[in-house]
Amino acid sequence: MEKVLTDFVKALRNSNVRVSPAETLDAMSVIDEVGYDDRELLKRSLSIVLPKTPDEKKKFEICFDDFFTDEIKEQVPVALKELKDIEDVKSDLAKTLLEGSQAELMLSIADAAEASEIREIKYFTQRSVFTRRILEKMGVGKLEDELMQIGSLREEDIPTDLEQELRNQLTGLRERVSDYVQQQFLLHGDVSGEQLREQVFKSMNMAQIDRSYLHEVHSLVRRMAKKLANLHSRRKKNYRRGKLDIRKTIRENWVNQGVLFNLSWSYKKVDRPKIYVICDVSGSVGAYARFMLMFLFSLTEVVSKLRAFVFSSNLGEVTDEFKDSNLDSAIESALQKYGGGSTDYGQALTDFVSLCIDEIDKKTTVVILGDARNNFGPEKAHLMKIINERSKQVFWLNPEGKYRWDTGDSVMTTYSAYCTKVFQCGNIDQLERVVSTLLKTAI
Amino acid sequence: MSDGPKKAISKITKGFAKHGYICSDQISTAVYLASELEKPILIEGPPGVGKTELANTAAMYFKKELIRLQCYEGLDESKALYEWRYGKQLLYTQILKEQMQEVLEGAKGLKESLGRLMKFEDIFFSEDFLETRPLLKALTSDKGSVLLIDEVDKSDEEFEALLLEILSEFQISIPELGVRKAKVKPLVMLTSNNSREIGDALKRRCLHLYIPFPEAKLERQIVQARVPEISESMQIQLVNFVQGIRELDLKKQPAISETIDWAKTLILLNSEELDAKLAEETLNILLKHQQDIEVVKKEIPALISSATETSDGKSIN
Repeated sequence: MEKVLTDFVKALRNSNVRVSPAETLDAMSVIDEVGYDDRELLKRSLSIVLPKTPDEKKKFEICFDDFFTDEIKEQVPVALKELKDIEDVKSDLAKTLLEGSQAELMLSIADAAEASEIREIKYFTQRSVFTRRILEKMGVGKLEDELMQIGSLREEDIPTDLEQELRNQLTGLRERVSDYVQQQFLLHGDVSGEQLREQVFKSMNMAQIDRSYLHEVHSLVRRMAKKLANLHSRRKKNYRRGKLDIRKTIRENWVNQGVLFNLSWSYKKVDRPKIYVICDVSGSVGAYARFMLMFLFSLTEVVSKLRAFVFSSNLGEVTDEFKDSNLDSAIESALQKYGGGSTDYGQALTDFVSLCIDEIDKKTTVVILGDARNNFGPEKAHLMKIINERSKQVFWLNPEGKYRWDTGDSVMTTYSAYCTKVFQCGNIDQLERVVSTLLKTAI
Repeated sequence: MSDGPKKAISKITKGFAKHGYICSDQISTAVYLASELEKPILIEGPPGVGKTELANTAAMYFKKELIRLQCYEGLDESKALYEWRYGKQLLYTQILKEQMQEVLEGAKGLKESLGRLMKFEDIFFSEDFLETRPLLKALTSDKGSVLLIDEVDKSDEEFEALLLEILSEFQISIPELGVRKAKVKPLVMLTSNNSREIGDALKRRCLHLYIPFPEAKLERQIVQARVPEISESMQIQLVNFVQGIRELDLKKQPAISETIDWAKTLILLNSEELDAKLAEETLNILLKHQQDIEVVKKEIPALISSATETSDGKSIN
């Protein structure tokens, strides 16, 4: 019975529920308590021990239902009828089906599965292939031939008892094998395909990620942002301890006749970084802006003062839209309002400077996301100089490959003169690296 | 296996209902397992679904003392675990000074005095001067207790680490005195509103119970238990209305506690039937954000009609 549990835990892990060995032990003691008999009770009890977030609970439910289906079917014994002409059967499989025990049958399925390398199963779509392969290995072909023969030999149209029984058994076997494959898939396969997809997403050019995957990418981005937030919020704490606060110490220890038992420390005020993001949302870079904003707005735990501006020719602030409504609709509306036009960096910089240059101080990091393709318009690089001088640092993220910078209407070099750092930022991996650098230097 | 656990679980459900807490099977299973396996439960869920109340009821049901520790940012061990009584310790040192004369009387040389001093019983760091705080109190309680660590997500990460020893071993190490083990293991419940992700180490040591907003049937039972004077048709309409509101896209969904408050309000206003005007006037009890109220106001007619419709359908059945 323990094997069932460990297999189930393995299946859970496979569908992205994190289960530690300690929790597996807990689950065992839970099962000792409630037993396997009552499926609902078992499910309820295990859902308290194994999954530990609402999200994981949902996955657990699906996985539990998938995994514990054929457990129950197995217990139903197949009645073996007494058949007169049982000796007539020739193929091995038919003999096992008619005479062998359930255990023997399961064993031969397992053997056949082993021989067809079921461990290699990775994807959802491979299940039917493996089912067929296992059935072939077990000799279904021969059995079918034999059934044909029996069918052609008989005189009447009504099938004999033996034939009927064999056909029933064969259907049963097919079901059983397909259940077995399903279970093995849960154990070995990449159940939701998530790991694979995530890997692909991370290294894929952001503009090429299909829109239908946005939701999944969003959850991926949020997880990465969370990781970064954890990393940097801890670091910040270490900075907090300051010097001995003598006044406060004396006041607090007055009750102890002035003997200094409790020391009080003055805490350094933590400067939350201010980050101003300017995103180009014209046709060529819109897709990147989407991810950039997604990432940054998932970071609100660490970055309290974040202001976002978008432009294609005219620049506008979108911070409030992002804070209030949900991200997808906010991005859509921002892209609709400002996006799509022809790019004019000169105008955008003018707008930005007139809008909030006074609020930029030495704690502010300005991040600009764009391809610096200016349609041969005026560059107004002196505005970049002003921004650079007033702020702590200016980052420029360019989604294009380095080899394309300064080709055609791109004026990357002109602007990069006034940037603290310039990054190439085409996929989510690179984006994560950039944001990590940003947080390291901004705080 | 026997029916043992099933019976015990339904006994808990009934026992809790007697104290006015209607719980789903999931909740009573969690309470059962926590008390059988002697493991802490971490309870998560949106605010107002009765997380804290669960601990209160558990204390009443098990007839144990409820010890509550409210977490907040900056909570440290001197407020959660134990503290020395500094004032008393100071007085003690002064008494000691006077006693010292007698002890050292007639001693020749520094070595002998020191020897005598060493023989002298020292109680500076002892139970006498130990001020117990909630966590230590829960462990030292003779009859056992229900320890509620409320809103653990509000505390710092350092405090979370402090809890680990208590939650897994039911013991506390006091550097001056050694390890204190629990006499009777308390039933520990932690609640969290998920304002911060709880660390994996803490989660691993706990059972995890997620209490969602209740389904209509359960919510009706809860309203019935909490506000017994409400009429049945009103109660059905009210719950359907609230369930309808939860479908909308709101900043803060109304929780059970708000449903109950609303039910009480309607009783106070002597209303028999839920209508649009009444709903609009009392909406501020259900919703706490102006934006949400605006959103719901527009939907009131639709919500009312669907709420009364379904209640009619029910009464025919």
